[in-house]
Amino acid sequence: MKIDLKKVGAWFDDRLALTPIFKYMTKKEVPQHSHSIWYYTGSSILLFLMIQIVTGIMLALYYKPTLEGATASIGRIMTELPLGWLVRSIHSWSATFMIAFVMVHLLAIWFTKSYRKPREATWMTGMMLLVVSMVFGFTGYLLPWDDLSLSATKVGTNIPAAIPVVGKWVTQFLRGGDDVTGDTLTRFFLFHVCILPLVIFAILVVHILLVQKEGMSVPLKDEIAKKKVPALPFWPNFILREVIIWMVLLGTLLTLALVFAPSLGLPADLMAPAPEGVKPEWYFLFLFQTLKIFPANMGPVTGEFVAVVLILLAVVAIFFLPFLDNKPDKKKGKIFTWLGVLGVIYAIVFSIWSLL
Amino acid sequence: MRIDNAYFTRRKFLNSLLGGWLGTLAVTFISPIVKFVWPPYKEPDEVKLAFADYSGMKTGEVKNFPWGNKPGLLRRAEDGSFIAWVGVCTHLDCNVSWMPDKKKFFCACHEGWYDENGTNVAGPPPKPLRRLETAVEGEDFFVRKPVPGAKA
Amino acid sequence: MRAIRFIILVAFAALVLSPLTAAAQAPAVPDAKAKAKLETELSKTTAAPQEAKPEVKPAAPAVPAAKKPIKKEVVRTEPIVPAFSGIKEQTAVYVFYAWLWLSIVILIYFLRLWVKEADRVYKAKYYEPEESPLKDHPLPPCLGD
Repeated sequence: MKIDLKKVGAWFDDRLALTPIFKYMTKKEVPQHSHSIWYYTGSSILLFLMIQIVTGIMLALYYKPTLEGATASIGRIMTELPLGWLVRSIHSWSATFMIAFVMVHLLAIWFTKSYRKPREATWMTGMMLLVVSMVFGFTGYLLPWDDLSLSATKVGTNIPAAIPVVGKWVTQFLRGGDDVTGDTLTRFFLFHVCILPLVIFAILVVHILLVQKEGMSVPLKDEIAKKKVPALPFWPNFILREVIIWMVLLGTLLTLALVFAPSLGLPADLMAPAPEGVKPEWYFLFLFQTLKIFPANMGPVTGEFVAVVLILLAVVAIFFLPFLDNKPDKKKGKIFTWLGVLGVIYAIVFSIWSLL
Repeated sequence: MRIDNAYFTRRKFLNSLLGGWLGTLAVTFISPIVKFVWPPYKEPDEVKLAFADYSGMKTGEVKNFPWGNKPGLLRRAEDGSFIAWVGVCTHLDCNVSWMPDKKKFFCACHEGWYDENGTNVAGPPPKPLRRLETAVEGEDFFVRKPVPGAKA
Repeated sequence: MRAIRFIILVAFAALVLSPLTAAAQAPAVPDAKAKAKLETELSKTTAAPQEAKPEVKPAAPAVPAAKKPIKKEVVRTEPIVPAFSGIKEQTAVYVFYAWLWLSIVILIYFLRLWVKEADRVYKAKYYEPEESPLKDHPLPPCLGD
């Protein structure tokens, strides 16, 4: 029996009205200019997110989120299951790639000032996605329950305690109590596997719909000059180029995961002192160092308090950047561009400093 | 060579070459994932036990032993030898227990009965209990999968 | 507005779920308990050849050898390093990677050809939606037959 694909497609189309989606994809245009390479960062993040979901599900099939079973189950994945260490390695590396691309995406939007009107909401949902991605990384880092990740989590969940008024409750919520225990592990697993995926999908849907609704932004000077920027259709021209990028990224990710696969440290001991060289994942290093440089006591408050408040203020300020930078083409805009450069330098310098 | 009309064009040929390549790539991606998700946990081929634990068994007595992830049943026959079965009901895989007063194996899930030789005598089980071979070698007591062809 | 409502809903769901995680952690030891129960049951049936022998063997040793009710105090002292499980697996993975990169190179070659063709077709305005016979065709001009 010959199956006519066109008829099958027509059956679905009658009921789901898919043709408008395809038509939209051919009509949507992607501007081509000297900075259009940054348009690829968004879909690359999606690629890594999909890889995380697939490898994450595979790992979660055998991972046991309890105090007794966590490290042992990961040890089992790495030794007994076929290429389990490679699956774990891909998951770990894809997390790094995803957060790296999220930051590159943020910087690209910052420096092209694509957050200006009418794309403020896209920027704000994007900031929320950044926060959620980093929480993903933080919760995932604890799950192996080895000595390093336990210490990193103790430090990390202690930081919100410095926030005035609500800090203690936040820490208790994160830890499932006052201390890091097996409850913390189970709770972090739930966040990582259930709550955060729901949250990130919800925000992602809003973000992507906003991007489609507002269209792709053009560089500021072209917008001011009202110049018509040459554009290519999204389908097939831009998609084909994106596929090239995805394949290169996939190959790079798989190769790095093979060559630099992470090992599993010693099982965590809740009563043992912190091991040497405790540090969080690379994307938290600059924050870690910022906390370290503040002195223990600064007048009536702790140095940690000041640091946390400053970081929170910075995050809030960046969240509202489109409203702060409301005159992007004037001198104020230039100041914000330089602030962005300063931010990048600060992050890189502090990250390297924390490793020394 | 110029062909004015053809059912199978050069374009189709090249497209199928490319499609075949992509298909192979997809398979090589999918097969490790499948192997990971469906790991082959086989039954052991043989299990080594300490004979001292079983040497004191009385005639007609039934004891358990571990057969991989399943329970195994061991019974001392009248002539002093051991009979071993996989203690799993052949109906729907429930674990089987020994009823010494009735001298039968009983599966509580759907009330299946096996006699003292493991033959299914009542209830839904379609086949007798799976037999295993036993061998005593010095201090060790081996229970093995039966060699195909050799009848117990 | 919708996004805020969604977030509140998810936060509420998280609040409701958190007692469930605590409850789910409670029966963490049924394995040992259930195993012991099973052993006592089975040994009760085995230990009852009614010839009245008080050779009880109180339950547990009915399943010797592999049963481990005592927690394995195996504390790992070395980190687990990722490694292949055999030379066959190692060779297979390296061959796969070579195949992967070869495929990537070949596919990029084709993709670049397709990109050039798609750009050419777009510039030649062959794909004008109003007049072209390919008005509703979803595939790129060179991929569809």
